[in-house]
Amino acid sequence: MDIVIVVADAVRASVGPLGAAYALTAIGLNLHYGYTGLLNFGHVAFLMVGAYGTAVTVDQGGPFWLGILVGVIAAILLGLLFGLPTLRLRVDYLAIVTIAGGEVLRTVIRSGDKDSLTGGVFGITQFATTFFGANPFPEGEYGWGRLAFTERQLWVAVVAWSLVALATILLVLLVRSPWGRVLRSIREDEDAARSLGKNVFAYKLQSLVTGGVIAAFAGMIIAIERQSVHPDTYLPAGTFLAYAVLILGGTASRLGPVLGAVVYWFLFEFTDGFLRGAISAGWIPGASSRRPTSARSE
Amino acid sequence: MPADAVFAAEAVTGSRKPDAILVVNGMHRSFGGLAAVDVGHLEVQRGVITALIGPNGAGKTTLFNLLTGFDRPDGGSSTFDGRPVTGLPPHRIARAGMIRTFQLTKALAKMSVLDNMMLAAPHQRGERIVYAPLRSAWRHQERDVEERAGSLLEKFGLADLRDDYAATLSGGQRKLLEMARVLMAEPKMVLLDEPMAGVNPALVESLLHHVRELRDEGLTVLFVEHDMDVVMGISDWVVCMGEGRVISEGRRRSWPPTKR
Repeated sequence: MDIVIVVADAVRASVGPLGAAYALTAIGLNLHYGYTGLLNFGHVAFLMVGAYGTAVTVDQGGPFWLGILVGVIAAILLGLLFGLPTLRLRVDYLAIVTIAGGEVLRTVIRSGDKDSLTGGVFGITQFATTFFGANPFPEGEYGWGRLAFTERQLWVAVVAWSLVALATILLVLLVRSPWGRVLRSIREDEDAARSLGKNVFAYKLQSLVTGGVIAAFAGMIIAIERQSVHPDTYLPAGTFLAYAVLILGGTASRLGPVLGAVVYWFLFEFTDGFLRGAISAGWIPGASSRRPTSARSE
Repeated sequence: MPADAVFAAEAVTGSRKPDAILVVNGMHRSFGGLAAVDVGHLEVQRGVITALIGPNGAGKTTLFNLLTGFDRPDGGSSTFDGRPVTGLPPHRIARAGMIRTFQLTKALAKMSVLDNMMLAAPHQRGERIVYAPLRSAWRHQERDVEERAGSLLEKFGLADLRDDYAATLSGGQRKLLEMARVLMAEPKMVLLDEPMAGVNPALVESLLHHVRELRDEGLTVLFVEHDMDVVMGISDWVVCMGEGRVISEGRRRSWPPTKR
């Protein structure tokens, strides 16, 4: 086993488009959970509507920019759908509604046949051609040895990390403002915020929608990188991976989600690569030398 | 002297007050078969310290919750400063100028003392999400708010703790912070739910002084208290509740009040 290759692959994953997408996912969740105290257990649904909004629009013959817009609008609508009935109630209800709502939505998307709007279990592919057509990087390999990206991967990664930077700046500006102060007061004690004249419901809804839109962009990145959307990408486990990333980096911290995403993907890929290497080298007695399926593959 | 004005009111249950800021009419609330609050008519006079007393379970805190929108009455109404406020959500009632505190202090633990104060300032432009990312839109106001918070903290003897987390304050200091924070919200009337509970005797004197000062600045104070020394010490008017009803009310000096 070549440990250098294992490390290189792990670094590659953590700085690649998926690392960025998980950072964005966690940034949105950080606004919900870290700053507002909203227990959103259906976060992955925001990624799903973002991805499907784009894919369906382009698949139906719409332009790519409209697809992005539709994805954003879908995330706003989902935020309202989740929030309007539940944010007046106690925290637990939001958790129940979001986890169930996300699954209901996924099942609905999955239930269509191949010719339906969402493509059912077949999903939709090849909708990001416009995006890759706009790639300013000429064809080739970028990087060193195992750490190289193709021009397509590099293009997605650059766009994705730019979005991470934008979202981080936006979030820092937001949480430092008096608006952010109200959010933190809601996290600490929403009755106190109410008693001081703050419209807690409106702030929670704003937080849910804003974080949801950020997550929708993460969904778009993942979909674009693969040129494919598939309902089973958005299983509830995705939400809890986002929580793992967020908690790993530190909740309610500014760079926590970014750090968490990079560390998470590094550890994930490193463990994966290391175990595979160890098994094929016969270091683990009794383990099958058959290549185990990666958790990431569909 | 506002306290003298109370001589104009009669010591009769549900009596009319000159210039009442809060008027409660037929307000009732029951939990299952238990009538927690059943207040026929109650007026609270502007610029006066009114104490609300009564045994445990008399409905004092429930009445507070009903008045401030934290609970909805089964029937009846209340008007504050001439506006009907029954059924309004808590934040709307607070914005109308009636601010409450809680029996168990609600200091925002993981926020600094200063942030606790600044949060309470009303009409903050930077609290609107569209202005929030634009620092220039709210910087000036933020500076004014910070200045006002600073001087209030000074007055309440918390200035040295302004950058500490509220979680590090003692129980008494939290009560002080909560009272200072109420003032930050620029209320017309404050409802204090057991402001002296769990406060050591040395701080009680300071809290009493601040409550009196609220009145002298023209604020109306309605407070729930079990400590009769405190009640007799600062209140101008006393309302006594029992089993959800107002049993009697009267001027503090005419205690015990005339029977209904």
